[in-house]
Amino acid sequence: MATTTATITLASTDLLSDELSLATTATLTAAGNSTGLAGTGGLGRKRLASGHAQYILFDGDAYANGAHKIYLKNADTDAAKFFTIEINSEQMGKLYAGDWAFFPWEANADTNDIKIDPSADDMILEYMIFIDE
Amino acid sequence: MATTTAAITLTSADLLTDALSLSATNTLYKAGTTVGLDQTTGITKAYLTATTNVDIFPTLIEGSMAFAGKSSWVYICNESTDETEYAIITISGNVIGKLYAGDFLWMPWSQSEDGHGNNRHGDIELAPSVATGMWFSWCMVNEGTEYPTAV
Repeated sequence: MATTTATITLASTDLLSDELSLATTATLTAAGNSTGLAGTGGLGRKRLASGHAQYILFDGDAYANGAHKIYLKNADTDAAKFFTIEINSEQMGKLYAGDWAFFPWEANADTNDIKIDPSADDMILEYMIFIDE
Repeated sequence: MATTTAAITLTSADLLTDALSLSATNTLYKAGTTVGLDQTTGITKAYLTATTNVDIFPTLIEGSMAFAGKSSWVYICNESTDETEYAIITISGNVIGKLYAGDFLWMPWSQSEDGHGNNRHGDIELAPSVATGMWFSWCMVNEGTEYPTAV
């Protein structure tokens, strides 16, 4: 059993009149128990052309239903460039340059794919999956 | 303009034969710009005692696309300590995943019109797995907020 932790920190000194400083740490465990997630696809890096509309990054058919975790980062530096993230053909949101996301993924159906659509040519995405095997 | 940052650190000494130590930090900007996001819902702390779906950002006006294309960031944390307790997180009725005890998510939210035609405008909903009471916290940092007119 592996021990993997994810820590998020949200910080701002001027968004509110009081300082925002939120930190949360989660240990990545399998569904319904305290066993650490033991599988990963490793940290990947992919250059995508705009012609790759609805590129399937993670195929719901390829993973069992579980408490998987997904990390995505737009490694571009142009503020106007983004990746659109879709899950089960529903738009979740857009990752602009430098943005990252971390969320659970159940892969609860063959159609529950995570798709990525770059807004421009030659954009680089970093990604990682932690797998509930 | 406010400066708000979101940072993540992923670490493990034994998931791989090489240590995992990944860090990323981004500043939250309005869509396609380098102007900082300047609005937030604040951090909500909620104790939910039913397993029914909850629309966690109910200020979104049905029939309005005021939020579409804007930049919004969503944080949700399941503060339960019982490893069997989870919340199902959906967007427009489609399951993203389950947040088990202690888990959090951080995701962009386009608030685009539902692709399945039920006019949900990308609602993010949360359904606790038990009705015996579970604690959650969530917040949104965003641009563009349109509140319903009082009736």
